[in-house]
Amino acid sequence: MHEDASQQLALLLIILFPLAGAVVNGLFGRRLPRSLVGFIGVGSVTVSFILSITAFAELFALRGEGVHEAVLTYQFYEWFSLKLPSGAEVAINVRFLMDSLSGVMTLIVTGVGGLIHLYSVGYMSDDDGYPRFFSYLNLFMASMLILVLGSSLPVMFVGWEGVGLCSYLLIGYWYENRDYASAGRKAFVANRVGDFGVLIGMFILVGVVGSFEFADINAAAAQGYFRKDFMMWPFGVVPSIATVACLFLFLGCTGKSAQIPLYVWLPDAMAGPTPVSALIHAATMVTAGVYLCCRLSPLFITSDVAMSVIAVTGTLTALLAATIAVTQREMKKILAYSTVSQLGFMFAAVGVGYFAAGFFHVFTHAFFKACLFLGAGSVMHAVHAHGDADIFKLGGLKKQLPTTRWTFLVSCLAIAGVPLTSGFFSKDEILLGATAQIFRSDDSLMVAVGWFTLIGLTLAAVMTAFYMFRLYFLTFTGEYRSAGESSDGHGYDAHPHESPASMKIPLIFLGLGAIFAGYLGMPHITPFVGTHLPSWWGHWMEASVAGHALPESMNTINIASGLALAAMAIGIGSAWVLYRNKSKDVLAEKVPARLYALVFDKWRVDELYDTVIIGPIKQVATLVGRIDMTFVDALLTRLPSFNAREVGRFLSRMQNGVVHTYGMVLVIGVVSVMAMFWTPRAHVEGALEGETLQLVAAPGFGYEYRWDGDSDGEFESGWSTKRIYAPTYGPEDVRKIFLYVRSPRTGASDHYSLTEQWTRLDLARLDAAWRRTQGSLPIVARLEDGKVQLRMNGAQVFGRTDTPDVIELPTGRGTGIENVLMVPRATVEATVEVRNAFGNVSTASREMTLPDGYLPEQHALLLDATKEGSR
Amino acid sequence: MGIGAYLALASVLFGIGAVGFLTRRNMLIQLMSIELMLNSANVLLLAFNRAYPGNHDGQVFAFFVIAVAAAEAAVGLAIVIAYYRVRKTIETDRATLLRY
Repeated sequence: MHEDASQQLALLLIILFPLAGAVVNGLFGRRLPRSLVGFIGVGSVTVSFILSITAFAELFALRGEGVHEAVLTYQFYEWFSLKLPSGAEVAINVRFLMDSLSGVMTLIVTGVGGLIHLYSVGYMSDDDGYPRFFSYLNLFMASMLILVLGSSLPVMFVGWEGVGLCSYLLIGYWYENRDYASAGRKAFVANRVGDFGVLIGMFILVGVVGSFEFADINAAAAQGYFRKDFMMWPFGVVPSIATVACLFLFLGCTGKSAQIPLYVWLPDAMAGPTPVSALIHAATMVTAGVYLCCRLSPLFITSDVAMSVIAVTGTLTALLAATIAVTQREMKKILAYSTVSQLGFMFAAVGVGYFAAGFFHVFTHAFFKACLFLGAGSVMHAVHAHGDADIFKLGGLKKQLPTTRWTFLVSCLAIAGVPLTSGFFSKDEILLGATAQIFRSDDSLMVAVGWFTLIGLTLAAVMTAFYMFRLYFLTFTGEYRSAGESSDGHGYDAHPHESPASMKIPLIFLGLGAIFAGYLGMPHITPFVGTHLPSWWGHWMEASVAGHALPESMNTINIASGLALAAMAIGIGSAWVLYRNKSKDVLAEKVPARLYALVFDKWRVDELYDTVIIGPIKQVATLVGRIDMTFVDALLTRLPSFNAREVGRFLSRMQNGVVHTYGMVLVIGVVSVMAMFWTPRAHVEGALEGETLQLVAAPGFGYEYRWDGDSDGEFESGWSTKRIYAPTYGPEDVRKIFLYVRSPRTGASDHYSLTEQWTRLDLARLDAAWRRTQGSLPIVARLEDGKVQLRMNGAQVFGRTDTPDVIELPTGRGTGIENVLMVPRATVEATVEVRNAFGNVSTASREMTLPDGYLPEQHALLLDATKEGSR
Repeated sequence: MGIGAYLALASVLFGIGAVGFLTRRNMLIQLMSIELMLNSANVLLLAFNRAYPGNHDGQVFAFFVIAVAAAEAAVGLAIVIAYYRVRKTIETDRATLLRY
């Protein structure tokens, strides 16, 4: 991959500006005037947007010069490095990278983000937590940009967690409301489940590739690294490690991007302020999963199984969420399920191998869904609705809110896929991808997945068009249904008013984007007509995103486009018939009430999760909590506190205030101390000082010592205050000789005190191999004139072929006898006598083993001489 | 006469003083017991000074002890009077306010 040698500081600044805004507003926002807080919040993102444009322009210029895989990088610093089990060192760099994929994503994030910041200035103007809101929002921008620009998985993961945190903070922004706060927690927990998948996927990838860099992982995938066998606990050898890694990463994507089974948090996330829903839960954060798939597209495309799982999951999510959206009553709820459904479209595109198409939908969706959310916010602002707005209490707002109405309508047209709007181009391409898979593949599984995706997505597209126009008609056409209501909080404001300019400008820009953003990705070949058009998007993306080439066959193209157009027409048409200028939920009267109620209750998936997962977890938690209270707390807390209390009570009783008691205690103390010093303490230890053995006696005040080093009953030294004594030993001083036996194989050791009698060495206890090799043949040892004799009874002696009946061991040297090491050691007894100032005397003696080779020369000679004599 | 007799005398005096201090409840008797113990120390100081007549440290120290004992007696008697004013008695086992 082409590396630009120069550091692109702009990449760092793009992230640092929103971060600085978050810090300033977070720390000092309360003391700053509101206008300045808003200026910092919007300004930092705007600067970031301008820097993104300049960086993107540079990237564009590089591409124009013919550098195909152009990237801009900025190496900030080395974060840390870790050592793999293989011994390889993996450096984790905080390094930012802008290529064609992350460049576009950066523009979406900063551009749409900037508009939503501007909108928030108006929307949040009455809120007390204004600086807190902008601080969170800016922190989100910084995290999202780290996620997008990070050049390796760990750096991306920092952003990934950062946006999760900000999402949690902003969903629970009105934390005084219990429901809102718990919606934030729900989002956080669902995301944690997914993050666990990302972590495991990350570890697998670094285990296989030895690098966290996206570029290295993708290059390794292209070279077939993932086809090697891989040991993975607890599965054993995994046939395709790419499948496992991709599925774990996809689990993370289902959390972040609200797919089955972890989508449940996103609808609840609408508890946050509307700009948050638009920015985080529609345009940017929730698309992070799609972004990750595109980022690692060369890896994902190697695993048919993972791709099929993604396609099926995406399609199912698109269908499920669309059915729920058809029945909901509240504007933001409908839009939330619509987002889940559209994310399903994106994943379906990824799953059939058209990553660029999926990401194109991310791009167009960012405009029209942000616009829809902001439009819903504008409506809520106009009618003073809190939290969410019930569309059955609205209606006819096209008169009062012309700007909102037109931008909302344009976005509805786009999401429904009306020709020549942005949603038309992107959705068309997704259906084309599914159709292409049916024709391209000869694998029956892949063909089945293709059919399933195509049919599922077409149905979802019908429902999309239907529920969006149901929402539009009920909100903006007919009569305003809250007209007679008071604005006391129960009903909506009787006189809605259009929003301020700071809210209208973003709506207009996003509305324009909803129409024109799609022209970047016009189909290469026009359906039905067959004209060849330049497809800038596909050309631009192919530098960084893998994927199949779009089909050239007119049949395929016509089928996909025909389906898309039919879906759009059926959806909009039925909404027109059922809901235009109506005020009731006509559909509810036409389908069985129980089915409608089931779908309205979101298929009761939340209740299912409550029963199947959350209930048992809570029960276990309660049980563990009870164990903690009754067992752990009693043992570790109440018992020690009881002890301390009772001991304290006893001791305090002794403070009885009677002087005689105190005097008595004092006398007892004095007498005890005197008794302790009355007799000296005698204690002796041996210590090796180089080659000599030193005897060391315990110290004491006014002690004098005299020594008997060889314990012959005579003290060699007179009384002196020296407590260290180093005698020299002769053969006559030796008390006993021990034979130390050790098996080097098992490490077990043993020792025998030798006498004139034969002593049996129970070697089988040390090493079971001895039992087998030596069988019942005993090995015995004894002492004869100070020399050690061994009788092997036929056992083979290490390193010798002639096996004498009896061998002698020289003292102080080990002798190997087939896996058993024997070392004879001599012991002496040392005695010290201690006298204190009272003239009392104590004695201590200790038997001490002389160290290897310690015995003096003449003793060793004596042993050797005896040995030679016996030969 | 050897030093042993003086040691025996001092030990007996100290023992009487110690036992008196511990067993009697009357503050005046206790003060007298303390005097007895101090004086047993004085006897020892003088006896050793006599046995090792190289310097006069023992004798000088005995004078110190007498002076300190006088001061101690003054303070002690003052405490006894103050205590008597509060309690109308000089029995020490009534002085048990300072306890747990």
